[in-house]
Amino acid sequence: MRGKDKGMTQQTGSPSSFSKSQISETDFEKQRGISHVEVRTGLTQVHILDLDSPTSKSRLKVMKVVADAKISLDFLKLTPTGMSFVIPADQTQLIADTLTKANIKNQLATGRGIVLVHAVNMRDEEGMIAGILRQVIETGITVDHASDMHDRILIVTDESQAERFKSLIEKGGVNGS
Amino acid sequence: MAHNVHVMKFGGTSVATPEARMISAMRVISAKEKGIQPVVVVSAIGRRGMPYATDTFINLLKEIDPTVEPDPRELDLLIACGEIMSSVIFAHTLKTLGHTAMAFRGGQAGIRTDGVFGNARIVSINPTALFKCIDQGAIPVVCGFQGVFSEDRTLPGGELTTLGRGGSDTTASALGAAMHATAVEIYTDVDGVKTADPDAVKEAPTLRQVTYDEVAEIAHLGAKVVHPRAAEIAMNYNIPLWVKNTFSDDIGTEIVSRDKFPGRRVTGVTHTGKLVFLQFDLSASEKTHRGTLEASIYGTMERYGVQLFMLNVSPESTGFAVPRDQYAIVQDVLDGLVIPVGDSDSRVVYVFQLGKATPEVETQVKLLESLGEVRRVAAKLTEGCSMVSVVGHEYMQQPGVFLRALEVLEDEQIGVLQTSDSDFSLSVLVPEADTMRTVKLLHARFGLAEVV
Repeated sequence: MRGKDKGMTQQTGSPSSFSKSQISETDFEKQRGISHVEVRTGLTQVHILDLDSPTSKSRLKVMKVVADAKISLDFLKLTPTGMSFVIPADQTQLIADTLTKANIKNQLATGRGIVLVHAVNMRDEEGMIAGILRQVIETGITVDHASDMHDRILIVTDESQAERFKSLIEKGGVNGS
Repeated sequence: MAHNVHVMKFGGTSVATPEARMISAMRVISAKEKGIQPVVVVSAIGRRGMPYATDTFINLLKEIDPTVEPDPRELDLLIACGEIMSSVIFAHTLKTLGHTAMAFRGGQAGIRTDGVFGNARIVSINPTALFKCIDQGAIPVVCGFQGVFSEDRTLPGGELTTLGRGGSDTTASALGAAMHATAVEIYTDVDGVKTADPDAVKEAPTLRQVTYDEVAEIAHLGAKVVHPRAAEIAMNYNIPLWVKNTFSDDIGTEIVSRDKFPGRRVTGVTHTGKLVFLQFDLSASEKTHRGTLEASIYGTMERYGVQLFMLNVSPESTGFAVPRDQYAIVQDVLDGLVIPVGDSDSRVVYVFQLGKATPEVETQVKLLESLGEVRRVAAKLTEGCSMVSVVGHEYMQQPGVFLRALEVLEDEQIGVLQTSDSDFSLSVLVPEADTMRTVKLLHARFGLAEVV
């Protein structure tokens, strides 16, 4: 047992067989609040409109058409008469052709971006998710959609607004929320 | 001689009864006999409702006068007693089995935190006292969930702080990092991280490896596993972290960094408790006023510490789900909330209304109408729902994933009220009565019975 290594204990006056680096104080946890903001551009938002009733079945038909065209959709949101989702911009023409061919009424909004507001363990900080959304909205950007993960909130908006928001947050500092 | 520290953390159920403590203690002794130097971390004895559980202590204050909020500093001093008792009892249990052990409060173990009472974060650890204990041949038993804050480190003592949710897991991981442990083991009453809640899917297998991101996302979406803060520390310091069952010999689940698990898969299905979904219709408001109204909604939720799930924001409406036990607060602060927007020439007074207007809101609107233009911001309420999520690793970006989930729910006539997704998950909001059935269906749909 190391506890019997009395020689070293006497030399250091502290733990016997552990080096100083092993007992040095260390930073552990990440700081609270927004750590940084990131922007992903090159997206198109697709709005599917006026689906036949029952809407739930019609939505599935649309999703099948999209999946068959090998298009990956993100940020799916159900709306009273349809749905909306986001796709990579390089698939805009493909989705336009696919939806037209399937006779699905739609609107495409190009030039969309995602703002990713990073903040660790948001679920543990009471009110933090709401606080980040408040800050986003107060900068004046139009939020087309929002979603959350354990360490970030994702906001779909216009590309130019996304960059503006990033710069606003960075200018105001990114500590706390 | 190379050291070989294992941090062994025992949760509430593992220290709840003399029998459970004996089994836990035998695990510690067994590790020591194999040449490992165990450092034990304990939670408070038992879970909600039991005599020495954290909630029981809080109730002692609430019983005096439920309308008076306890001071956070005082509350930390009180609830930390649970772990202090637990550590002393566990150390004594080890002594009765012939092994010297010493109990340590968080501060005595060298754990320093920031000064946020009730939700402190660890800033540093000086484990000198623990190493001395080991060197004397004893087993340190450390109180989880607590540390000490001191603005001036030259002064003796300091304020006792507690670490908030997942605090004992975090203590274990941080001690592991500070002591260069070869493993951190979180002991609980299940075999490890499961692919679903066994109450919903009895045969849900135990995952043998999960990544930090998967664990963090699973916890974020409602499941109780090892806390993400603990996993994060273990990952940053490259310490093997395990979740094991105190009461079985199953090998458990290892939490690994992303680079050690390059595969693509669906990890599991999680679900939240009872939620209330609120969707605010902003279409009756001036477009230029919507930002102010939304900021008021979210600012109020922030101020009152309300947890939000299933965000559903668009230019015409904004919505989210809140835990049912927080809905009373939401109703109290938002129903009837009055927000005047615009200057004196074009001022509009908005009144928030949750669900059907109460007589109080109607009276308020009539009074305000006599002063100028009043518009309502009505929120549609969906009570009695829950969120079920499929968590995946490098999986969600594939075409057709959402379709696979929604198809099976449509076939089984489960009404999906809303959806949400991120890089790691997709979620559906369903009627509460269908929660367990939804978990079961999605578990089967994504072939999770075969996942390891």
